[in-house]
Amino acid sequence: MTSIGNMLSEGLGISLVVFLPLLGALIILFIPKTQDFLIKIVTLASATVTFLLSLVVAFQFDYSKAHTFQLGNKLTWIESINSNYEIGIDGISLPLLLLSTFISVLAIIYSFEHLPEPVNAKGMMSLILILETGMNGTFVALDLILFFVFFELVLLPMYFMIGIWGDRTKRSVAGFKNEVETRLYASIKFFVFTLFGSAFMLLGFLGLYFRGSKTFSIPELIELGSSGAFTGTFATLVFAVLFLGFAVKVPMWPLHTWLPDAHTAAPTVGSVLLAAILLKLGSYGFVRIALPILPEQAKAWAPAIAILSAIGIIYGSLACLAQTDLKRLIAFSSVGHMGFVMLGISSLTSIGINAAMIGMVAHGIITGLLFFISGSMAHTYHTRDMGRLGGNMKLLPKTGALLGFTAMASLGLPGLAGFWGEFMALLGAYNPLSGLNITVFRTSMVAGAIGTVLTAGYLLWMLQRVNLGEPDEEWVNQDLHDADNYELAAWIPLVILTVLIGIFPKIIFGSTNDAVINLVTKAFGG
Amino acid sequence: MEAEISINYLAISSELIVIFTIVGTISMDLILTKKSKYLIALFALMGSLISFIPIIFQWANYSKAIVLFEGSYVIDKFSIILKGLFILITYLTFLLSINFVESDTYYEGEYYFLLLSSLLGALVVASSRDLLTIFIGIELASGPMFLLSGWRKGDPKSNEGAIKFFLLGVLSAALILYGFSLLYGVTGKIIFSEIVATLSALGLHQSPVVLLSAILVLAGIGFKISVVPFHSWAPDTYEGAPLPITAYLSVSSKATGFLALIILFTKVFYESGGSWGIILVLISGITMFIGNLSALQQKNPIRLLAYSSIAQAGFILAPIAVAGITGNYKDGVYSSITYLIIYAFMNLGAFLVVNILINATGSENIYEWGGLAKNSPMAGIFAVIFFFSLAGIPPLGGWFAKFVVFRSLLSTGEIFGVLLGVVGAINAVIALVYYARISKIIWMDSSIHEEKVVTITNPLKVVGFISLALTILSGIFPGIFANLGEASAIFFSS
Repeated sequence: MTSIGNMLSEGLGISLVVFLPLLGALIILFIPKTQDFLIKIVTLASATVTFLLSLVVAFQFDYSKAHTFQLGNKLTWIESINSNYEIGIDGISLPLLLLSTFISVLAIIYSFEHLPEPVNAKGMMSLILILETGMNGTFVALDLILFFVFFELVLLPMYFMIGIWGDRTKRSVAGFKNEVETRLYASIKFFVFTLFGSAFMLLGFLGLYFRGSKTFSIPELIELGSSGAFTGTFATLVFAVLFLGFAVKVPMWPLHTWLPDAHTAAPTVGSVLLAAILLKLGSYGFVRIALPILPEQAKAWAPAIAILSAIGIIYGSLACLAQTDLKRLIAFSSVGHMGFVMLGISSLTSIGINAAMIGMVAHGIITGLLFFISGSMAHTYHTRDMGRLGGNMKLLPKTGALLGFTAMASLGLPGLAGFWGEFMALLGAYNPLSGLNITVFRTSMVAGAIGTVLTAGYLLWMLQRVNLGEPDEEWVNQDLHDADNYELAAWIPLVILTVLIGIFPKIIFGSTNDAVINLVTKAFGG
Repeated sequence: MEAEISINYLAISSELIVIFTIVGTISMDLILTKKSKYLIALFALMGSLISFIPIIFQWANYSKAIVLFEGSYVIDKFSIILKGLFILITYLTFLLSINFVESDTYYEGEYYFLLLSSLLGALVVASSRDLLTIFIGIELASGPMFLLSGWRKGDPKSNEGAIKFFLLGVLSAALILYGFSLLYGVTGKIIFSEIVATLSALGLHQSPVVLLSAILVLAGIGFKISVVPFHSWAPDTYEGAPLPITAYLSVSSKATGFLALIILFTKVFYESGGSWGIILVLISGITMFIGNLSALQQKNPIRLLAYSSIAQAGFILAPIAVAGITGNYKDGVYSSITYLIIYAFMNLGAFLVVNILINATGSENIYEWGGLAKNSPMAGIFAVIFFFSLAGIPPLGGWFAKFVVFRSLLSTGEIFGVLLGVVGAINAVIALVYYARISKIIWMDSSIHEEKVVTITNPLKVVGFISLALTILSGIFPGIFANLGEASAIFFSS
């Protein structure tokens, strides 16, 4: 037993967490399409084993040394450019890794009975698994090139998920003569935006490589960066391109426009995975790479990031108030919530970055759940138009109750997971790292505070329109199905987590706090 | 008193086997009856396969360069790896061709004869180290293609494309020769190392004559590698030629041209790199933009791939261009050759997909390919892998190709390199739009060919799986290209 335990703690464990899903996808390729059930079972099995392994990893993790990279190893990969298969986790990446493996399992459970047209379980299941490999890999990669490969690996599956299973309604889009199907427009827009960011990000990585000591290793670059190796115009440019790559993914205003389209068009599981995990790749990139490697530039850019975040919060909330489409409303709410995450990061304090970490996890759980529920409702009602919905509590009591709960969590009700991220981000912005422009940050804080009010406003308004009141006549005598067991199996764990993290935020902080403090001390000296 | 000339036959055994196969195919064509002409295809396939054996042996044993014919012909790891590439591409082109040639009623022997001759030319270019040998190699490689591109005699498009190709090809040969004649006129030598020595002795490296010669050679080879402004023949010729020949043109002929360019510019003109480097940087950037922006407009898949291959040529050229300015030729050559090799297989795969889908639908309009992936998921997966690899999306091979180019461009922090890197990044995004469009149409659009059966014959499957394996492997384990770095170092030590 000990030898297996040793092997798992020497990199095999997290390698399996990364590559088991891919293995599952390969196995599925060889199962005939008609064996629907077998395909789903194999998918669920590989995702579940992956999740269990990630739990083993979490138990092996030494929380007293959460600021160090653990359980990893370093193997030669591309010798000629000194890029290695270097992996490991610390307190910052662990919660996100667990979130990723967990949400993937739930997404697969949900997909057992809820695949949109054209059903094709084989295609969807293999895409989910490939996507999971990309997401898990990004969170454990400690080499810039390895990070880049995993970061980009998520693009193809998500592109096809949106494009094949997405929303088929036609809409007119500026620049196109004819109306196009939402899914076709949204999928390529998602792809082009992200690639645009990451193409420049790669140039930035190369810049670090050549100015540093010809290494892509993130720990080594962090050492170099905190000893002031990257300065001047060069470093400003590198930070700018890294910012571009990560900010598109987050997404930060004004680079967010792909997000509402992608979310509206994506099938339910696609939306869930996109909101819960893919967006985190961007904010994680800031915490893992941009801040510690380029601390001086992070300081210089922090006010700009804070302002953009504040605009994102206000803009997202106002846009929500203008929506008639339920999914689009939740998509815009993501812009606002990720604004809080970025506001926390921009404060460059341990409180702010801890807020960002718990905000990321909470947003993953809560918005993931919101997309599950809204997707399911769209499936039941065949519309997402909030003007036509109403009286949901009477028609679908279980779904309605869960929607009510999740909306409360999303608006940051104390005692639920969403509260900590928002509250502490504002706290961080009130008192940013010394030397940063106090006026800018306090203004951003006020804007963020106004944003919380607006957030409460649009979510309550949404509940009023969708959940409360009398059902519209068109629904009265229809046979509408409330949440089934697959749906409840996917949703209830998220509800439990929302409450748990809300009451015991230490579940997250216990892992992140030391690592964040270490990051802040090393990079910004306090 | 004549010294006895001893020839290391083992070192040129690949070339000899190809020559033997050439003679064999044309003789068999005279003897065999129409019914048994398929034997010629078999013979050509065997011949190209056997010519690969010495490559393996040479790669394992030749740690030093073998110099033949008084310095005119050099076999080193660099040339060995490229010869292997040329032979493999020709082999795959034969496989692609089998169905096409058999559907034609005549000219079976000549087809293989001409393709093998072109291969021989490419092999010669890889080892040539003097003006005459390299010129003969270049022309032997491209001459047969004039005929092959007009092979579909009944089709006016094929005739038009072949004539354009021929006229511009002759012009380019003349330009190259004119450039060479200037060099010879100044130095009186034909072997590269002697030319360089003489130019150094005369102090003429930076002289206008040498620069003019470089520009003439560049213009001539520019046609072969279809970079802007010498690219205009490519879309028409590609469209008219039989598909296997188009694939060969865009992969092997292009590689031969690039190889000639690399040899000439890094072995002869390297001292004046500061002057021609800027020109190449401009050409490279403009080629990317024009190729990609034109490809965006195309409905015809072959023209789309033609413009895409023009844009890709811009990428391949970029590291050499910047190396000219910085003088870091070793790195530039390594990057270009790595790109060229990965590009060869993914582009061959892309042509395979187009071949399959055109045969299935009979339509050369990509917008009429809606939903075809449902009829043949294998073709659909091929399309996704090869086209997204061309777009440079990890973990497919194309990403590493783009990566080494970006790496080389930024390596010295030279301002032109950085600018070209930015241009490349923008172009990678533009290119994604049309590469993704193919996958979008066949996977996401509604079916309009539900009854159509998409057949993939066995030879095509072999081509598909070999290209697929190489495309994916080179993306996941790019370490295998480390050997190239070594090979490029040897190239410069000899």
